[in-house]
Amino acid sequence: MDALTLIRDFVCSHSEIDREAVVPDAVLAEVGIDSLMLLEVMFEYEEKTGVKLPDDLPTPVTVQDLIDQLDRLAPGSAS
Amino acid sequence: MSGESARRVAITGLGVVSPWGSDVEEFFDRLLAGESAIRHHRTDDGHLSISMPAVHCPHFDATQEVGRASAAMDRSAQMSFAASNQAWQQAGLPIPEQPDRGAAVYWGTALAGTLTYEQGYREMLQKGRERVPPLSLILGMNNAAASHLAIHFRLGGPCLTYTIACASAAAAIGEAWQAIRDGRCRVALTGGADSPMSLAVVRAWEALRVLAPIGNRGAEAACRPFSKDRAGLVLAEGAAALVLEEWEHARGRGARILAELAGYGSTCDASHLVKPSADGQYDAMHQALTTAALGPGDIDYLNAHGTATREGDPIEIEAIRRLYGEHAPGLAVSATKSMHGHLMGATGATEALVCVQALRRNATPPTAHLAELEPACAGVAHVREAGVERPLRACMSNSFAFGGSNSVMVLRQAEGT
Repeated sequence: MDALTLIRDFVCSHSEIDREAVVPDAVLAEVGIDSLMLLEVMFEYEEKTGVKLPDDLPTPVTVQDLIDQLDRLAPGSAS
Repeated sequence: MSGESARRVAITGLGVVSPWGSDVEEFFDRLLAGESAIRHHRTDDGHLSISMPAVHCPHFDATQEVGRASAAMDRSAQMSFAASNQAWQQAGLPIPEQPDRGAAVYWGTALAGTLTYEQGYREMLQKGRERVPPLSLILGMNNAAASHLAIHFRLGGPCLTYTIACASAAAAIGEAWQAIRDGRCRVALTGGADSPMSLAVVRAWEALRVLAPIGNRGAEAACRPFSKDRAGLVLAEGAAALVLEEWEHARGRGARILAELAGYGSTCDASHLVKPSADGQYDAMHQALTTAALGPGDIDYLNAHGTATREGDPIEIEAIRRLYGEHAPGLAVSATKSMHGHLMGATGATEALVCVQALRRNATPPTAHLAELEPACAGVAHVREAGVERPLRACMSNSFAFGGSNSVMVLRQAEGT
């Protein structure tokens, strides 16, 4: 599962926000992902991929910021 | 207690999550008909299985009644939200843009997020996982429900959670009453919720040997308050919510006043953790009457705490007889836990709601399964028959807790509306 799909699935299951509103340019807080929900997204990502995210990740502002962070840490990623 | 306060407290909204669905009228109709919601509750988990009489809310659908926000709530908070939403809608109050500092939450729960914490233990100890989801603490904290209510309804005044075991919601409602009387808020969303069917909680209750067995009369008749063959209490889940308003505030906006919350008493036995005291109960009931400026002859119906334990029922009746004196033999008394079970921290709210409905309908639900009266529980007019209609001026609702806390409310007809 790619990061955008994971984020969209999460938003749809936790809020009334439309899936289509979750676009890369969207600000996370505006699609229901506040600091608390961000922890849940990260937890879900870890559960699904087996990747342990570091505790000192910078706080992402947009959906794209979060996608970039998750993609960089994904299994098989070059970084 | 400020019995001299000029402020009166109106009840303008009711909501419930019950075993028969989230509908106040249906809930009361079923109780009035003497119908028991108690069923045989079984889980299939090897030596950790549960098998006992209990009351569940099988129709409760958090996705429907709460929406997707329910994903960030424990079941008891979901039920709190659903009941509150009904009550707020019935009251016809708006949800303001900004938090209203004159509006408060006073909520009661005994067990709050127990199910969430138990799920965490199961994940770690049974499935070998090392951690729990990040929202576990937020779901499990005792004030989670109250906080969700404050956020959703923009209640910016006090947001308080009372947890005194089985008197939690009664205390929450009573303290909200006091806050309105004192002028600390104009509106209070109050009530309680609990969902106590976690394995650890059930096992803890079993160890106390006060849970009713299914017995030879079947699960539906397992809870028999005041009966000679009573055998203990039955755990139940659910929620009830009441919107309280300062009387003139309610009248000023043309609200329909359902009943008046007229008095409240709060005491502690201060003597034993589980052995109740007639003195403490008497004093709480006396306070409630006094603050309502009523006398024993003014109360027409008493919804008893009546859990159906061997020790508790006779002590409550002793306290009632002492307070009501010559009026006791004519006082209609019933214990509706015989039908809806014991909702733990939510039970005071549920039974206050029953009293409001009794006043509105001028009808008294019975104590179900009361075939042969315990002699030590005699001396009041036990309501045994279903569907009894009678004029009611005022009611009393008793809630007593392990730990010795006693919370009593007096409610009366909404006159002058």
